[in-house]
Amino acid sequence: MSRVKVFFNSSVNSKIVASLAGLGLTGFAIFHMLGNLQVFEGSDAINGYASILRDMPILLWTARMGLLIVAGLHIGLVIRLALRNRQGRPVAYAVRRYRAASVASRTMVLTGSLLLFFIIFHLLHLTAGLIDASAPDGLDIQGRVDVYGKIIHAFRNPLYVGIYFVGQLALGLHLSHAISSGLQTLGIEHAALNRLFKLAGSGIALFVVLGNLSIIFAVFLGLIRA
Amino acid sequence: MLVAGRKRRGGYRRIVKLTLRIWRQRGPNERGGLVTYQVDDISPDMSFLEMLDALNQQLIMAGEEPVAFEHDCREGICGSCSLVIDGVPHGPDRGVTTCQLYMRRFADGKTITIEPWRARAFPIVKDLVVDRRALDRIMQAGGYISVNTGGAVDGNTLLIGKEEAETAMDAASCIGCGACVAACKNASAMLFVAAKVAHLATLPQGKPERTRRVMAMVQAMDREGFGSCGNQYECEAVCPKNISVRFIALLNREYLRAGILGTKMPAQSDPPHGESY
Ligand code: HEM
Ligand code: SF4
Ligand code: FES
Repeated sequence: MSRVKVFFNSSVNSKIVASLAGLGLTGFAIFHMLGNLQVFEGSDAINGYASILRDMPILLWTARMGLLIVAGLHIGLVIRLALRNRQGRPVAYAVRRYRAASVASRTMVLTGSLLLFFIIFHLLHLTAGLIDASAPDGLDIQGRVDVYGKIIHAFRNPLYVGIYFVGQLALGLHLSHAISSGLQTLGIEHAALNRLFKLAGSGIALFVVLGNLSIIFAVFLGLIRA
Repeated sequence: MLVAGRKRRGGYRRIVKLTLRIWRQRGPNERGGLVTYQVDDISPDMSFLEMLDALNQQLIMAGEEPVAFEHDCREGICGSCSLVIDGVPHGPDRGVTTCQLYMRRFADGKTITIEPWRARAFPIVKDLVVDRRALDRIMQAGGYISVNTGGAVDGNTLLIGKEEAETAMDAASCIGCGACVAACKNASAMLFVAAKVAHLATLPQGKPERTRRVMAMVQAMDREGFGSCGNQYECEAVCPKNISVRFIALLNREYLRAGILGTKMPAQSDPPHGESY
């Protein structure tokens, strides 16, 4: 126990583990978005995908537990770091001018906290089905859980579109600083490739967010229907 | 950008008037606050510190306590001068120290706010003077190489590649001013530590203690109450020596390497000659 404590008392160790966990979550966010895009292939594709996942309960629950642990590690470590950082400057400057820090980098705690709320909401809403009583929880004609129907029902409603839009905004901002920051924390930098790494950060953030938003707005604008 | 002092009198341009808001604090545990002063007759050729000298002359004449601020070389090499000017450590020019900042950079009639470095690890001594010994203690923890004294080694005994020499030189140009800490929202000293670690880790003389050095210096940094790095790069943007944040990535790599190798490995059996590194 004390070795673990000593390890995490190092700010650099904490940063390294937090960034590994964060990059792991980023990987999940990318594959989750790609999986979601199957909505565009129609109800058969996405319901089939969901049922394949559900047919492998051990794998599914291992992945879920793993994600929970990784997310817990990330959140726990960054909150601890942020609290310590706040103590670093007890008296604030009267005048403060930023030169290099991006908006995204300055709002990591805010966008991270919004993300946490959004993730909990999203799980209760579409995974557990506890938020919207009017949502269909039936099966499709092949007897599989009708994920497609749930998605269509949810994003017809401007309230859910709004909540998910804010969630995606937070995700995009968080990732646009997080990815390049995480690489730097792991010591991954290169004279010529650094600009590519920077671009990859905002590029991946944009990719994930636009992918998710395309589904939400395609349903809302009636481009995909039941 | 307005150039200071449009008015010409006696053949040279001068700033007629400046309003200064300066942090005054009698001692470490006293309450401080911003006090407003007027200065006039400031030449655009004066350095920022000379402008403060003029203010202090004025205060002494009026029987008031002069403003305490740190300075020594006044040519950008010692790292003593340390003022946050209008929210930016070392002021509006890039790649210079406060003592290399000139009054021609400021418009006539401007209000300038001057504050000390602010960090828990840099307690205020008086007015604009802070105690930066935390950086010295980090150096004492590992920012050195151990050598046996004796006759000077012949030149070029240790061959060093040009690339390595250049990298080490870039890192070694850090003057330990602490502006990186002052600029960081977390008051992190990572750029300073990175410069010192990179400087020594790049050179053959620094290799023997490489593993324990990075461990010890990061541990000392955390102990002093500096924050952690958020990779915002404000430090690089104010550093008077333009130390690159690439050195922070290098520090992270050194730390990872040390963590994996472990500091204990070479010391598992006693060193044959009883040398202590
Ligand atoms: C989908 C979920 C999330 C992903 C993909 C993600 C990803 C990342 C990554 C890759 C980093 C970079 C680590 C570094 O700077 O080295 C990071 C930093 C950070 N994350 Fe997250 N994160 C997520 C959720 C959260 C949540 C829920 C919170 C807050 C409760 C949070 C708060 C932060 C903070 C404050 C930082 C900055 C750490 C620092 O600069 O020291 N993140 N995130
Ligand atoms: S890295 Fe730059 S800002 Fe920081 S102490 Fe060294 S010279 Fe000053
Ligand atoms: S007084 Fe020496 S660097 Fe400014």
